[in-house]
Amino acid sequence: MLTFLRTWRGRIALLLAVIGPGFITANVDNDAGGIFTYSQAGAQFGYSLLWTMIPITIALVVVQEMASRMGAVTGKGLSDLIREEFGFRLTFFVMVTLVVTNFGNVVAEFAGIASSLELFGISRFIVVPCAAALVWLMVVRGTYDSIEKIFLTASAFYVCYIIAGVLAHPDWKAAAFATVTRPQAAGIRNYGYLYMVIGLVGTSISPWMQFYLQASVVEKGVTIRQYAASRWDVILGCIFTDVVAWFIIVACAATLYASGRHDIGTSGADAAVALRPLAGEYAYLLFAAGLFNASLFAASILPISTAYAVCEGLGFESGLDKKFHEAPVFYWLYTLLIVFGAGVLLVPRLPLVYVSVLSQVANGVVLPFVLIFMLLLTNDAELMGEHTNSRGFNVIAWITVAVTVVMTLAMVLTQK
Amino acid sequence: MSFVALSELLGANVRDVDGTARGRVRDMAVAPQDHPTRIAYLIVRLADVERLVPAGSIKALGPSIRTDGDDSTWERYAASDGMLLLKRDLLDQQIIDVHGRKVVRVNDVELDSTPVNSHVLLNVVAVDVGARGAIRRLAKGVVPTFTMRALLERIPPRVIPWQYVDLLETDPARRVKLKIAYEGLSKLHPADIADIVEDLPPAEREAVFETIDEEVAAEALEEIDPDIKKSIVESLDSERAADIVEEMDPDAAADLLGDLTEARSGQILKEMEPEERQEVTQLLEFHEHTAAGRMTTEFLSLPETSVVDDVIEAMKKFEGGYEALATIYLTGPAQRLVGAVPLVKIATASPAAQLSDLSERAVSCPADTPQDEVAALFDKYNLLTLAVIDEHERLAGIITADDVITMLRHRK
Repeated sequence: MLTFLRTWRGRIALLLAVIGPGFITANVDNDAGGIFTYSQAGAQFGYSLLWTMIPITIALVVVQEMASRMGAVTGKGLSDLIREEFGFRLTFFVMVTLVVTNFGNVVAEFAGIASSLELFGISRFIVVPCAAALVWLMVVRGTYDSIEKIFLTASAFYVCYIIAGVLAHPDWKAAAFATVTRPQAAGIRNYGYLYMVIGLVGTSISPWMQFYLQASVVEKGVTIRQYAASRWDVILGCIFTDVVAWFIIVACAATLYASGRHDIGTSGADAAVALRPLAGEYAYLLFAAGLFNASLFAASILPISTAYAVCEGLGFESGLDKKFHEAPVFYWLYTLLIVFGAGVLLVPRLPLVYVSVLSQVANGVVLPFVLIFMLLLTNDAELMGEHTNSRGFNVIAWITVAVTVVMTLAMVLTQK
Repeated sequence: MSFVALSELLGANVRDVDGTARGRVRDMAVAPQDHPTRIAYLIVRLADVERLVPAGSIKALGPSIRTDGDDSTWERYAASDGMLLLKRDLLDQQIIDVHGRKVVRVNDVELDSTPVNSHVLLNVVAVDVGARGAIRRLAKGVVPTFTMRALLERIPPRVIPWQYVDLLETDPARRVKLKIAYEGLSKLHPADIADIVEDLPPAEREAVFETIDEEVAAEALEEIDPDIKKSIVESLDSERAADIVEEMDPDAAADLLGDLTEARSGQILKEMEPEERQEVTQLLEFHEHTAAGRMTTEFLSLPETSVVDDVIEAMKKFEGGYEALATIYLTGPAQRLVGAVPLVKIATASPAAQLSDLSERAVSCPADTPQDEVAALFDKYNLLTLAVIDEHERLAGIITADDVITMLRHRK
C-alpha cells in the first residue's frame, strides 16, 4: 500500500513538473472565435452536434502529441525543423501565410476583449489600449516560469463555462446521449449543419498552436526521458478543452435552441447577451467573463508565438533575453502585431470582416502544409530516432490530417 | 577569381565531354581530410542514378556546368562517408559564428571559382547569413539571373568567412571523420561559449561538451543557466562529466552536484580523482545558501612567519582560480586565521618583506552565516574575498566577489 502511494505520488510530482505546454496550448484553442463557434453550434443545432466532440478531441490529441514529441526529441522548434528539412522557400511561404492568419486571429482576440468588457459598460477606447499594453509588458517583462503560471491560472478560469453550463439546467441525459451516438444522416445533408461541423473542426486545429506547443516544450526543457508525463499533459489538456467546449454547446442548446433563438449574432459577446434572459444573470456574467479571459489569454500568446516562429524559421535573432537592437525583427514583428491587431479595432467603420476572411483563407492555405510537414517530420527516423510514429498512430494521424485539410479547404471555398 | 553562390549551382545542368546535358547538380561535397575548403565532388542526379563528378573535371561554370568526363569516369554515389555535403549539412542549418559569437542559420554558401589550367577550382569562402542569400534563393528561377545579380549587388552582404564558422555535428564518429572540431568556439571566453551553448538544441550542447577541452568546458559550464547546466551534465557519461567537474571550482562543482539526483551525483563523484572528490563532498554537506555553501576551498594561506618570496613560490604552484588570489591569508598557531594581505601589497613589497608587516585585519565569518549577511559584509568592508572560519577559528574556505555577484543576480 505504501509503495503504491509512493509511486503515485512520484508520478503526480512528475506530471506537475511537466504540465503546462500541452494544457495551455489546448486551452488557448477555446479563444474568442472558438467560443462563438461553439455557442452558435449549440444555438442553431441544439445537442445534435455534440457527437463531434469525441472525434475532435482525438484529432486534437493526435496532432498536439506529434508537436510535443518533436519538441522533446529534437529540442528544436517546428519552424526550425521545417527550415532544416524543407528549405528556405517553403519556410518563407509558410511564415508569410502564418503571419497573415495569425494577424487575423490577434484582431479577433482583441475584438473579443473589447466586446466582452463592453458588456460591463467599459468603452473599447479604454479597454483595447490597456489590454494591448498589458499583453506587451507581461510577455516582455515576464520569465517563462512566471508566464506559465499566469497562463495556467487563465486556463483554470475556463471553469466559468462549465458552471454556466450547469446553470443553464440542460437535459443531461439527452446531452450525454447525443455525445456518444452517431450523427443522423438527415443532418449531414443539411448544408448549414455541415458548415457548422467544418467550423468546429476548423476552430480546433490551427497552425499556430503547433508552433507554440513545440516551442514551449523546448523552452521548458522537456526531454524524451520526461516525455511520458508530457504526453499526459497534452491528453489532459485536450480533454479539458473539449469538456469546456461541450459545456458551451450544452449551455446554448439548453437555452437558446430550446426557446427558438437559433441565431445569436456575430460574436461571443452576442452569445452572452442572448443567454441573459433565458439562462439568468449569472450565466450571462460567466459567459462574458469567460470570453474576456479567453480572448486576453489568446491575445497574449498569439503575437509572441508568431514572432518566435517567424524569426526562428527565417534565421533572425529571436528571444526575450536579447536586447531590442540585437533582435530588431523579432521585437518589431511582435510589437506591430499587437499595435495593429489592437489598433484596427479603434478605427470606426473599418470592415473587419475582410480581415477575418483573409485570415481564414490564409489559415486554409497554411494548415495543410503544416500538418503534412509534421507528419513527414515525425516519420523521419534520422530526426526522431526510435520515436517515429507507430504504424497504428500513422493511420489515425493521416486520416485526421486528411479530414482536417479537406474540411478547412471546404471552409475557405464556401466563404461567403 | 569570382564568386558564385551554392544556390546558383544547385540544379544546374552538368554536361559531359561531348557537351550533352547528363543530369543536374544535387549537392556539392568537400572532403575535409584532403582539403579543408576545396569542392571535391559534385553529386549529380542522372536519369538512373546519382554519380560523383570529380570537381577537377569542371571546365567552366555558367548556366550549365561543362566537364571533361562522362559516365565512365563518374563513380556511383553510394554514401557520404567522410564528406561534408554543402546542401545537406550546411544550407538552412545552424552554425556557430565564432567571430560574432552567436548561433546563426545559413542562407547560402559563397564559393570562389578560380580558373587553373583550363579547369575551374571551387573553394568555400564564406557562408551567407543575411538578406542577400535569402532573396537569391527566393527569386531563383523567378527573376532572370542577370537582373537578380544586379539586384543583389545593392543588398549589403552579411557573410561569415569560412574560418570563423564552427559546424554543428552531433554524431561523434562523423565529426572525427570530417575533422570538425570546435576550434573557434573553444578559443572564445568561457562566458561567450556559455551564451552560445544556451542557444543550441540539447543534442548540440552535449556534442560541444563532449568535444571541447575539459578546462574550457568547466569554465563555460560554470557560466551556464542552472537548468541547462543540469541537463547537460545529466546527458554526459559519468566519466566525461567527472573530468569536467574536477576542473571546476570546488564550490561551483558542489553547487552543480547538489542539483543532481543523488544517484547521478554519486556516479560522477565515483569517477573523480580522490582529492577533488573529497573537497567537493565536504562542500556538498553545507547548506547551499550559507557562507559555507558558497565558499571555495581553493585558496592560499601561509604561516604568519613567511616572507613575500614564499608567497610568490606558493602562487606558482597554485591550481585554483585567479580570483582566489586577490587576498593571501595568514595563519598562526593551531591554524587559526590571524591576518590577510592584499595581492597589491605583495606585488609592491620587496621579496624579503615579512608578511606579518604587510598584514591587515582579516574579515571573516562563521560557516553557517546566511548568504545575505555575506553580501552585506562584502558591501560594508569593500571586500574582494571573505574568509570563512570553522568553530576553532581555522580557515575553512573563502568566498570571492564574483560568487557574490552571481548570488545576488540569481536571488529572486
